[in-house]
Amino acid sequence: MTTQSATAPHSTSEMPPRRRAAFEFVLDNLVWFVLAIVLAVFSLTIPDFLQIGIFLNILQNSTFIGIIAVGLSLTLIAGHMDLSIESVMALAAMVIALMFGTGGAGGGIVLEPGWLYFPVSLLIALAVGAIVGTVNGTLVVRLGINAFIVTLASYIWARGLVVALSGGRSVYGLPDAMRVMAVDQILGIPLLAWMLILVYIVFAFILAKTPFGRHLTMIGGNETATYRAGIRVGAIVMASFILSGMLAGFAGWLLASRTAGATANLGIGMLFQAFAAVVIGGVSLKGGSGRLSGVFAGVLLLSSIQTAINVMGMPPHYTQMIQGGLVLAAVLLDTMKNTVRRYYL
Amino acid sequence: MKTLLRSITGAILAIALAATAVTAAAAADMKGKIYYLVPTLLDEFQTGSIDAITKFMGDVGYEVVALDGQNRTDLQLSQIDDVINLKPSAVILAAVDFDAAKTGIEKMRAAGIPVMIFDRQITSTPSDFTSVAGTVEIGHVAAEQITRLLTEKYGSAKGKVLQILGDPGDPYTLEIQQGFEEKMAANPDVTIITHPAMQWEATNAGNIAQDQLLTNPDIDLIFVHAAHLAVAVAAVLEAQGKKPGDVMLVSSNGAPVGLDLIRKGWEQVEVEQPMYAQAAALAMFADKVVNKEKIEPGTYDVTGLESVLTIEDWGPNIKIPGAAITKDNVDDPKFWGNLKPPSEPVMSVK
Repeated sequence: MTTQSATAPHSTSEMPPRRRAAFEFVLDNLVWFVLAIVLAVFSLTIPDFLQIGIFLNILQNSTFIGIIAVGLSLTLIAGHMDLSIESVMALAAMVIALMFGTGGAGGGIVLEPGWLYFPVSLLIALAVGAIVGTVNGTLVVRLGINAFIVTLASYIWARGLVVALSGGRSVYGLPDAMRVMAVDQILGIPLLAWMLILVYIVFAFILAKTPFGRHLTMIGGNETATYRAGIRVGAIVMASFILSGMLAGFAGWLLASRTAGATANLGIGMLFQAFAAVVIGGVSLKGGSGRLSGVFAGVLLLSSIQTAINVMGMPPHYTQMIQGGLVLAAVLLDTMKNTVRRYYL
Repeated sequence: MKTLLRSITGAILAIALAATAVTAAAAADMKGKIYYLVPTLLDEFQTGSIDAITKFMGDVGYEVVALDGQNRTDLQLSQIDDVINLKPSAVILAAVDFDAAKTGIEKMRAAGIPVMIFDRQITSTPSDFTSVAGTVEIGHVAAEQITRLLTEKYGSAKGKVLQILGDPGDPYTLEIQQGFEEKMAANPDVTIITHPAMQWEATNAGNIAQDQLLTNPDIDLIFVHAAHLAVAVAAVLEAQGKKPGDVMLVSSNGAPVGLDLIRKGWEQVEVEQPMYAQAAALAMFADKVVNKEKIEPGTYDVTGLESVLTIEDWGPNIKIPGAAITKDNVDDPKFWGNLKPPSEPVMSVK
């Protein structure tokens, strides 16, 4: 009679360190490999897909979902969530469009000199996000209400406020200084794409290299233990909600620039795409783990699929099916990854 | 503290009583209350229609209460159930879903409540009055205009057209597509590429235009099914360094944003839905509908537009002609996009 050993044939003791490091690298960056494969398949099979312009479009079209996904990741890593980001983005866009837009419901406020529109509108958009973030954070941290409920309520009231403020009317005719982000390029890359890259670099650094980032991850992993270690849990969670709101406000500012105004349904549906990107990127919904590089890859993956569908003319219903399938596949991959890690490493 | 609380409670009660008295007095002057079930508030045409219907119904003595269906069929059906219990003089329905609304219409009519259909024609069940521009006809007008524009450019109708629909789950956009494509079938040299902007979201329309202009740089014209989508498309064209008219733009519904794009040269034609006239027609026939009087077929003048009323299988149906707006007539106040509602009060048809 033979018995099978409980130890895996390639367990830690047997795997050479180099191979193990490579194995870990693949597991940590699995979503990037998936993205590379998907892009390669699209490039080989879809006519006209393989060109720089398409890849720039993918990057540029990822901007808004990508930036709100960072805010969502921060709150998820802290063990909470922020469902209000989509509506906050729309609210920030609508507020600045209503103030400075010259057409539709726009108030057409004039600033002299003209370049002032740029910083003033940006500050207002960030302030709108910060205010909603503070409200969310206060209700979650001070009153101990579940973040799901609080931010779901904000998701609803902020969208309602967009409709109420605009009366359902569109706003257009933003000053040129506010459209710089959508029109200009640096080194042939649209400014919107640069903003996306910048946000990811800054927040990846914050998460990995600063005490705030490390504490955020610790809180998501075990809030009680972190509190007992003397870390100001409440302040850090509050900061994550404020940052999430400000990032949504920033995305709204860029979105207004991109669409040259705002409509009552601006950005609708982006929350779910941001969630999909975050899950695909490997951020744990239970909190305590997740890296923004994975989220970035997740956003690019979704945008690549959308662009591929735009280019090849596939019926749009498939977009949602593919995105849903991808989220499921990501969760399965994550589970498999953990099993493989336990088994081999 | 008790005194303060008592004072506040007293003040609230006084205000509530006063408000009730004012409302009751106002209601006494009215013939009745009509509920307008609007499909969404995230669309300028729909929000504008609330103001127009409220104004015109006020002219003929009815108070209007609008309920937002939030683009949800289930919510609109619930609103119908609620409204039935309120026993209004009539209900104006702009359906979220043409087919799903059928049972709701039947329920209301069975409860003795007259139902007027606005903007989104429902032919699967009888109603008491229908006022529409005709979505298929909007597609026809768009096709005629696009054929003209391409012929002016090339000497004959040929070239490439990118058609950007609204949400593919919305029958409104699908009917415009149907009307557009059945007319364009007569132009075999025109290639039509069709993509939907999910959830009528402007960013999606912009992204589609951006991707398509890259893979099909020879696109001559972009036809979008709503003016607010045209704004995002024009923004993309501008960001790509194109000048107004380099790629022609045609849109439908006649919203203020579309008219502004025509003035700036980005858009060549806007196919208008005659919202003011559609709303005015409801008010003109409201008394007859509420009192269940016979409605005569024929030609009627609705805010200056010659409109034909026919008796169809689904009931009296007035069709208001949609118009093509170009730079030559863009400032005409009759277009709802100029936001100048007719000052003359609407009169009931006797």
